[in-house]
Amino acid sequence: MNGVWIFGDYRNYFQNRVTLQLIAKGRELAETLATEVTVVILGEEVHQYAMEYIAHGADVVMAAEHPDLKYYQLETYTTLIARWVEAFKPDIFLAGATSFGREFFPRLAKRLGTGLSADCVSLEVDPEKGFLLQTTPACGGELLAEVVTPHHRPQMATVHPGVFQEIPHDSTAVGRILYPEIEVQPEQRVKILRSQRQQVRRNNLEEAQVVIVGGLGLGSKEHFRLLFELAELLEGEVGATRPAVLAGWADEEMLLGQTGKAVKPRLLISIGTSGALQYTTAIHGAETIIAINRDPHAPIFKMADLGLVGDCTTILPLLLETVRRRIRRERMDD
Amino acid sequence: MIKYRESIISAHHNYLVNGMLTQAFVVGNPNSRMEFFLVAEIVPPGEITPRISARLVDEKAQLVLELDLNKICNNPGRCSHQLNAEGFRILNPSGEALLEVSTKIFANGYLTLLKARLFDGHGKLRVEPFDGSIRVHGKADLSLKAPIHKLISKSS
Repeated sequence: MNGVWIFGDYRNYFQNRVTLQLIAKGRELAETLATEVTVVILGEEVHQYAMEYIAHGADVVMAAEHPDLKYYQLETYTTLIARWVEAFKPDIFLAGATSFGREFFPRLAKRLGTGLSADCVSLEVDPEKGFLLQTTPACGGELLAEVVTPHHRPQMATVHPGVFQEIPHDSTAVGRILYPEIEVQPEQRVKILRSQRQQVRRNNLEEAQVVIVGGLGLGSKEHFRLLFELAELLEGEVGATRPAVLAGWADEEMLLGQTGKAVKPRLLISIGTSGALQYTTAIHGAETIIAINRDPHAPIFKMADLGLVGDCTTILPLLLETVRRRIRRERMDD
Repeated sequence: MIKYRESIISAHHNYLVNGMLTQAFVVGNPNSRMEFFLVAEIVPPGEITPRISARLVDEKAQLVLELDLNKICNNPGRCSHQLNAEGFRILNPSGEALLEVSTKIFANGYLTLLKARLFDGHGKLRVEPFDGSIRVHGKADLSLKAPIHKLISKSS
């Protein structure tokens, strides 16, 4: 069969679009290689998702339905998909760099004896040799490394949500669905007693038109909290760099960067962020970037459309007050 | 090599047969004038009603009913057609359902489930309830790519 395979991570489907984004990229790669895009999907009652993947550009869906596949179980999923890969021999296998993909894909790559490029920010096909060129941040995000896997198959990579754009839903699309014979051996070491969706504040960073990002330069959690008010006033969302998340000022869900989300808003205000490559790879898609930092040599200014050099703990309250006043005045004018 | 089953699916509407999605299927021989058949045709985007045609016979090979695109067109078995919120049912005179058709609505598509216990002209069981829909015994064509209703109409 060969071809380009995408792992169908359908959990929280209508918010988590990374599988659809990978299908779109997979289509480009498959067209270059004159092959097909196959989405691999495991679970119970996955009919709806199989249809969605066809609507968003997959040629083939490979499905396994079984009550023991209802919940993700690392060992069960790895064993089953490794068998499929060994039997059908895809050239390329991609997954979203979600918490799920980050746990499952390295295990699968190890089982298959092949390489894995994690958190890729670009995927292309070498026009001469046909290898997958996997661009991924390296050396703590200071470099972008181009990785190829010349001797082992499949060529495996995980990719951030938001790096690629999905193909719009096409209800006229038609594809094939394969149901390979499966032998599911439930995981012996882990027994799932129940599964419950985590209640979290809705964060729509990838789709937001305005994003306010805070970094360690904000100095404290109290200052970071001001970003939420600014985001609310500008009808935007709040993102954070890795150091701000590690400091406990922001949830992991708000993380932007090579191990977090990528965004493409019309306006991005980056406050107290130095501009390390691992962060800036996630904001390349922003139309306008305003950066505030006390260090005039901070790398963030190289990509900012407008830069303010100063202490963000001083500038942020002033900016907030200005925006508040402006909005009040606009309301009065209306 | 791993064995696998395959069918063609639509992004818009599918039927569930043998635990598989398929955009259309044929069981039996719709080209004959007398033999049993069950046909589910492609539902194009913009439409949501499944398209079921059938010639149903009982275990003694006696004609019970002919169905043309969900409507009874020949009814020697004095069956009744009952609409409901999800689809329709065909009931025999004693009120037992011979065929139930129901459509599930997804966010961007539709899935039609059937429920039936059907026999061919030799008294062989061809279709029975399975996994929320039906299982077909013997040959079923799941790779139907184009409507075949005109063909059925001509032969009937």
